Amino acid sequence: MHPPQNAAPPPAGNRLPDRLLILSVFIVASCGLAYELIAGALSSYLLGDSVLQFSSIIGCYLFAMGVGSHLSKYVDDRDVLARFIDIELLVGLIGGVSATLLFLLFAWMAAPFRTTLYALVFILGVLVGMEIPLVMRVLHSRQASFSELVSRVLTFDYLGALAVSLLFPLVLAPKLGLSRTGFLFGMANVAVALWTLWYYRHEIPRLRSRLTRGALVMAFLAGGLVVSEKLTHWAERGLFGDEVIFATTTPYQRIAVTRWKDDTRLHINGNLQFSSRDEHRYHEALVHPALQTLPWARSVLVLGGGDGLAVREVLRHAQVERVTLVDLDPAMTDLFTRNEYLSGLNGQALSNLRVTVINADAGQWLETHSEVFDLIIADFPDPSSFGLGKLYSVPMYRLMGKHLSARGVLVVQSTSPWFAPRSFWCIDATLREAGFHTHPYHAHVPSFGEWGFNLATRQPGYTPPTAYSVPTRYLDAETTRLMFQFPPDMQRLPVDPNHLNDQRLVHYFQQDWSNVVR
Amino acid sequence: MERRGFLRASGAAGLGLALPACRPLQGLGIPVRVHQPGLVEGHRLRDGTPLPTPTRELRTGVAILGSGVAGLTAAWRLARDGHDDFLLLDGPEPDGNAAGGRFDSPSGPLLHPCGAHYLPLPSMESRGVRALLFELGVIKAEPFSEHPRFSETALVHAPDERLFFDGAWHEGLLPTEQVNAEEAGQHRRFLAEMADLTRRRGRDGLRLFCVPKALSSVDAEWRQLDALPFRDWLVARGYSAPSLHTWLDYVCRDEYGAGPEHVSAWAGLHYFAGRGGHAANAADGTVLTWPEGLAFLTRGLRARVPTARQQAGHALQVDETREGVRILCQDAAGAFLVHARRAICAMPLHVAARVVPHLRDYGFDPARHLPAQAPWLVANFLLDGFPAEPPDAPLAWDNVIHGSPGLGWVVSTHQWLRAAKPAHTVFTAYRALAGQAPAEARRQLLTLTGDELLELAAVDLKQAYGAFELWRRTRAVHITVRGHGMAIPGCGSLTNPGLTALQAADGRLLFAHADLSGYSVFEEASWWGERAARLAANS
Repeated sequence: MHPPQNAAPPPAGNRLPDRLLILSVFIVASCGLAYELIAGALSSYLLGDSVLQFSSIIGCYLFAMGVGSHLSKYVDDRDVLARFIDIELLVGLIGGVSATLLFLLFAWMAAPFRTTLYALVFILGVLVGMEIPLVMRVLHSRQASFSELVSRVLTFDYLGALAVSLLFPLVLAPKLGLSRTGFLFGMANVAVALWTLWYYRHEIPRLRSRLTRGALVMAFLAGGLVVSEKLTHWAERGLFGDEVIFATTTPYQRIAVTRWKDDTRLHINGNLQFSSRDEHRYHEALVHPALQTLPWARSVLVLGGGDGLAVREVLRHAQVERVTLVDLDPAMTDLFTRNEYLSGLNGQALSNLRVTVINADAGQWLETHSEVFDLIIADFPDPSSFGLGKLYSVPMYRLMGKHLSARGVLVVQSTSPWFAPRSFWCIDATLREAGFHTHPYHAHVPSFGEWGFNLATRQPGYTPPTAYSVPTRYLDAETTRLMFQFPPDMQRLPVDPNHLNDQRLVHYFQQDWSNVVR
Repeated sequence: MERRGFLRASGAAGLGLALPACRPLQGLGIPVRVHQPGLVEGHRLRDGTPLPTPTRELRTGVAILGSGVAGLTAAWRLARDGHDDFLLLDGPEPDGNAAGGRFDSPSGPLLHPCGAHYLPLPSMESRGVRALLFELGVIKAEPFSEHPRFSETALVHAPDERLFFDGAWHEGLLPTEQVNAEEAGQHRRFLAEMADLTRRRGRDGLRLFCVPKALSSVDAEWRQLDALPFRDWLVARGYSAPSLHTWLDYVCRDEYGAGPEHVSAWAGLHYFAGRGGHAANAADGTVLTWPEGLAFLTRGLRARVPTARQQAGHALQVDETREGVRILCQDAAGAFLVHARRAICAMPLHVAARVVPHLRDYGFDPARHLPAQAPWLVANFLLDGFPAEPPDAPLAWDNVIHGSPGLGWVVSTHQWLRAAKPAHTVFTAYRALAGQAPAEARRQLLTLTGDELLELAAVDLKQAYGAFELWRRTRAVHITVRGHGMAIPGCGSLTNPGLTALQAADGRLLFAHADLSGYSVFEEASWWGERAARLAANS
């Protein structure tokens, strides 16, 4: 039997429980806004386009609150207090885990992320939308003055929102992070449920079961608060292996910088671009074998390579008067120009007066400009998609050829001749199909493994340098000599060039790497 | 016949009932521009509007009436052979079925087709087309060899085709990997039979099927196939697989504007066996395409005709006089007469039937010999960004939905040499209104609003992306309505005595149009244009 709600009215004049409810309003409002901000911030952080993410999250949330307010009228007058407590527990649980749940979901399965995000936001919105109407009904059954009630409840509602809107960006998000903030507010919701439960213990049916549930949820959230740091790190490690110190999603790619001790790594779309421990091997090998043989070179074009590390190596050669860097993504070049730590890695190369940074699609820029260069370095991401495959095609190399001075040299990062041999030799064959003489070589970059390059010239005859006029950490005469030798297990393979109508390279690349990753 | 009539009527009724109900775009504010090339001019002729009085006169040796592919080819050949005594009259739609257009998107101009969008690797016999491609730099080397080398910018880039079948995208347009062994076996048998027919020759030593059609074998045994609907031929040959029939229905509508039940078996086989072109640097079956579709070729042709030889306006009436031909024409400034020694009627035959009052004297009776013509919609969608695609099935150049009444869509920026997707693109969706009798479909078309046309044209895109995603991305739509889009090569088309007569005409009037071949493809129009130019130059 449910004891009727009005069986034991609180003694008149005892205003404490009502004050408590008003305090609950303040906390409930804070939590409600907090979940909305967490969802907005998380989706901006993971999906990019913050204006769109925030607008759509807020819109969805407010609409759901409207739905919740509407649904609140179906709660029976006798059950109002019990339902309020149930809802608080539910909001606390769902809201508390939302940030961590979404982050884990994004780390392992990107596909249902948006659906889950909006479903969570909607459910939370509905529950939060029911809270205030229920509180008002509880108070209304105890207080005569409706106008005073509305005024007090809404005042504290908005005050709670104000408090969180300031606390969230200034303190909570930067200090605690999104996951722990989520758990903290979840615990606040459960706390409201628990003390309301306690003060109205005589009016609430099935008190013991509700108290047990509340305690369990509280314990769960407290546990979450403690381990959430570990969980998010775990999720990031699932993605990158190391702690993420910077991440952004641009219209073109997802950029993440990770750090472990003194090793900084750049990932684009989850693929390693460099490790600060051994990138000098890659970039010295990319630049110096060509540039050392071009003492007359005045102008250099770097395509891709927005991290500025290849430009850093180019700038070591005093004869080079101007370097043009064409990279698609302004976010990438900005990051490696402005970020103190990352621009330190490239020696502020992108701010150098000899360097011009252009953000454009390499194909488009080459088609619409006529400048001629003495050295062109094509440092593009690996040909893993049809779009990227176009950067390694016969017409693209012909186009690069038009921008090369008569004795100029083209160097192409050519994937791994060990892990992706067909891809490597396909790039070599493509360059030859485009009319170049190729001089393939390879270097050992520990974080990548064996890596390959193609040096291409218009005229036959190229002799690797036997000495370097610039300081090098990896290259010397003997290393260079060995780079241009391919041992028997890395010999040239008979493969087709990469024409645009079949994009063989993209198929080779996918097959090669599917053989490596098992 | 009765059943077909009933189906047509019910289809039309369905169309009529369904359309007024859906006007979803009026609130979205997406600008829809509808272009109906030649409609006003053509219907004035049809309705017998009194002819205007000419106020000026022009004289020329050869008047070319119409600047579609046939007219432009004739003009190009004359100019190339050193003739300058000719006049190319634009007609109501310059470039005809090979017209193109452009959007000025926020990120720059975007070209797109308003008609045909690709050219197959040309057959050995399409020498004129090969010469043109060589001149335009599309063929780089050995234009008349078995294996010419084509420009890589024109060969369609990978991934070229994908098919939405059974809820997912698959490579290619024929779902051989997705159907059971029995159906897949039929697919393979069909393709092998087509490959065999491509190589076979008739008793006269000519290829059984050839583009240009005029060079096909006249072996009576094979010509009989002109009397049989393609679908009946398929059934008789034991091809029963539903997936094969659905694909062939798509192929016939895409090529001829009507399904295999309306197209002759000869025409159906001709599509597969007529070309057999190869390339030194691409697989058989590859096609050539450009962002603006075949407007790339018409632009190239036009650029090779001196502007002084090009004249705006369209022909209203053609009469033969003792000295030659007198053509009453009209342009924006009014009516004028062109006096020519000879004239090349490079206009569709349903227009020639109105413009040339004595067409019967040439052996062509419009009432009996005019082929049915399929109405077409070509809808260009200017998109802000690209709709989301599943990661394992990237957007292809040609995207087709198995069993859809639409003919899929092509992507105008597909051939761009870009690593990243451009900020804006154009999807060109095609639809032949093949579900009902052409004349009935045309009557319906005249009553539709822009939004209703859009509903018809967007059927595939909406199915693939959902209405929300499509309209979220769409910034503008340009629909070209081609009421008389192309001749349908139905049964009897090959032996149509009217067409045979016009093909052979060598009087003061010459005829040049793909309609003479009974179907609309670039190589046929080019063939007749070239023939007319050769004859006109000899006189």
